[in-house]
Amino acid sequence: MRSNRFTVCLLFVFAMIASACHAQSGVFYIYFGTYTGFKFVSHSATIGKGESHSKGIYVSRFQSATGAISEPELVAEISNPSFLTVSPDHHFIYAVSEHPLSLGPPLDHASYVSAFAINQTTGKLRLLNALPTGGTSTCYLSMDKTGRFVLLANFGSSSISVLRVNEDGSLGQQAAFVRHLGHGSLSVPVQSSPHPHTILVSPDNRYVIVSDLGMDKVLIYHFDDKTGMLSPLEPAFAQVEAGGGPRRFIFDREGQFGYQLNEMGSTLISYAWDSARGSLTQFQEISIAQPALRNAGAELQISADGRFLYASNRLSRIDAQDPSKIDRLPGTIAQFAIDPQKHTLTELHQFPSGGVMPRYFAIDPTGQYLLVLNQVSNNLVQFKIDAATGRLTGTGHEIKVDTPVCLQFVPEV
Amino acid sequence: MQHVRNLLCILFISMLTIGAGSTVSAQDKDNFVYFGTYTGFRFIRRSKTQGAGESHSKGIYMSRFNAATGKLSEPELAAEISNPSFLTVSPDHHFLYAVTEDPLSVGPPLDHASFVSAYAIESSTGKLRLLNTLPTGGTSTCFIATDKTGKYVLMANFGSGSVSVIRVKDDGSLGELTSFIQNVGHSVNTFIQTEAHPHSILASPDNRYVIVSDLGMDKIQIFHFDDKTGQLTPPEPAFATVKPGGGPRHFTFTPSGKFGYQLSEMSGIVDAFAWDSTRGTLTNVGSYETVSPDFKGDNHSAEIAVSPDGKFLYESNRWNTGDTGLGPDAIGVYAIDPEKGTLTLVEHALTGGIMPRNFAIDPTGSYLLAAHQYSNNVIVFKIDSATGKLHKTGNEIKLDVPVCIVFVPVHS
Repeated sequence: MRSNRFTVCLLFVFAMIASACHAQSGVFYIYFGTYTGFKFVSHSATIGKGESHSKGIYVSRFQSATGAISEPELVAEISNPSFLTVSPDHHFIYAVSEHPLSLGPPLDHASYVSAFAINQTTGKLRLLNALPTGGTSTCYLSMDKTGRFVLLANFGSSSISVLRVNEDGSLGQQAAFVRHLGHGSLSVPVQSSPHPHTILVSPDNRYVIVSDLGMDKVLIYHFDDKTGMLSPLEPAFAQVEAGGGPRRFIFDREGQFGYQLNEMGSTLISYAWDSARGSLTQFQEISIAQPALRNAGAELQISADGRFLYASNRLSRIDAQDPSKIDRLPGTIAQFAIDPQKHTLTELHQFPSGGVMPRYFAIDPTGQYLLVLNQVSNNLVQFKIDAATGRLTGTGHEIKVDTPVCLQFVPEV
Repeated sequence: MQHVRNLLCILFISMLTIGAGSTVSAQDKDNFVYFGTYTGFRFIRRSKTQGAGESHSKGIYMSRFNAATGKLSEPELAAEISNPSFLTVSPDHHFLYAVTEDPLSVGPPLDHASFVSAYAIESSTGKLRLLNTLPTGGTSTCFIATDKTGKYVLMANFGSGSVSVIRVKDDGSLGELTSFIQNVGHSVNTFIQTEAHPHSILASPDNRYVIVSDLGMDKIQIFHFDDKTGQLTPPEPAFATVKPGGGPRHFTFTPSGKFGYQLSEMSGIVDAFAWDSTRGTLTNVGSYETVSPDFKGDNHSAEIAVSPDGKFLYESNRWNTGDTGLGPDAIGVYAIDPEKGTLTLVEHALTGGIMPRNFAIDPTGSYLLAAHQYSNNVIVFKIDSATGKLHKTGNEIKLDVPVCIVFVPVHS
């Protein structure tokens, strides 16, 4: 018995070492979500980039030892897969079709979610099924920790929905649906109705956090991972400053703190997360605004060691006389130190993102590289993360992809 | 080969005979009648509670109704469920689907998910067995219908302004969402028409189209319906309109499928349409005010139905005059011109109850049962098959806040 236990322990240690080694030297497939013909429409006028030549989800092979990234290849033809998520076991990938008709607002066309089986040897995807999300302009999806549910933020129609995942990875019944009612700052056009932008489960899988850009609220729901049901808590939300526009939320590595990026207010809020009560208590708010520029903060990530937080800024200059004139500028990735005791944020540096509109970026599973997607420059730009300082250095590695807006890693087997 | 064909032919004829037999025998047989209710729903208007406050209903109730005698038995609770305000039965009578308009038993603010529940109907007793419950994909879901195959349920999500379609599995339980449409729009009434509010949804007689009455947009939308996939897609032109401010609530086709009638809640107008099933278009052939222009008060027209023989149309109105309070409420009876689809008023039959939100005609076309949301009763009327007129039978049951009636013939 004792010897058994020892063997198990030894095996466990080996497994840990193996996985650590694997993580350092692994090969990963990178799946790219894109807009396939999305137009930016503001007050019915097309502004910004019109045509995309992307046709769906693309895949590249990434070698973490060398940083090499292969040319992306189309793996799934699908309309506007603007957000992707991978199941915890890496067997399945789920993609939204934010808008099936390849247009922007008026937000009345159903969004879809598609399930694909991943071949981890070849990187190929096999479509399992596609279903309506239960909302419009669905811009974000994630899975719960069990991989049995897909959570969706329906930006256009002000709702969130949860779909059950069948045993074979395909999508099944709708398990929860919640409509948000309300508004944010009435002087901000996009805040005249709720717009959930991010939805994710808490580290213990017992809660769901929703950043609602329209309502200036970070909402908290109870999540039942047996049924997929969501139910509201008391208090049911954390309030963000008027006009803030909560877009992205992220938990820290220990699951004790959370950080909220606000798109319009250009602020970062730090919260203490009470997992027993399901409450967020704000203890810091910092401005990341830059004089005379619009930040339009987009993505938020924490380094593998938990010491640094990164946020992307899609910088532009708005003409003071004619606000419809927007001059898009090269974007930045801002680096923040997370205080190891107080968990407060301190801005350290801003690194050029290597293109215009860095809507998304991700840190590779080994924690060595940060890959930025510049939506308007149509490129992926690679940065090496300094293990000691967290600073970003461009590797000179750049990949052309049309209108890239999301990426996910899956280990090759 | 010839032999097989003969066999098939005999089988087909015997199926027809069995079918016809059951229709004939239904003439003098019992029906199960299921009642949807509000179970503690409050009417809230500008944050003030109005109308029927407390309900003592607990869910779906069942009575027996004899279409030969007009007798309606005392209702019994058939399924405990929150606010089952609309019910529908599968074409084969094996399953019943109920919405839970609001699970928390309060009125607006319309932000709580509505649910839909599937029940198996026990054919000899009428008892309901819960199969499963799912979110509808919207809020304040106020209407549900199956398509003609019974493979899909169609739902109107009044609160969140959308319609959704859910697949029905072989065992009658509910599966995945196959279609979702978010209506975006408004009309002229600043109280209720600032947003889209689909109020009813039903498949066309040939199952190739779906008609949605949107009370908020003053539109009757027409979607292509694919009964292989459950998908809805808008054709061109995608809608018919009603008089601004009308508020389209319920739509019904004639049994022939040649005509369709739209009842608008606020205006009380019935719009008659010729239905072109080839092109999927509605062409207005007449509009009829069911409420006298002299009427001073608040009208809320509710239900519309055509008799099984296609000769008469019935529509109910709910009145609030302010001074004298609620009612008296009536069901308007109209004769349908079989060629042109136009209407001629037969009578306004006072129901003797308050707020006849829903009524239904039994499968033989002999009786009309009216559910009164405010006076908490269901009243039985005999239909004069020659004139279409309604006659009180004196049969009536008490039931708290009844708002929907569906019949299931008893198969013995």
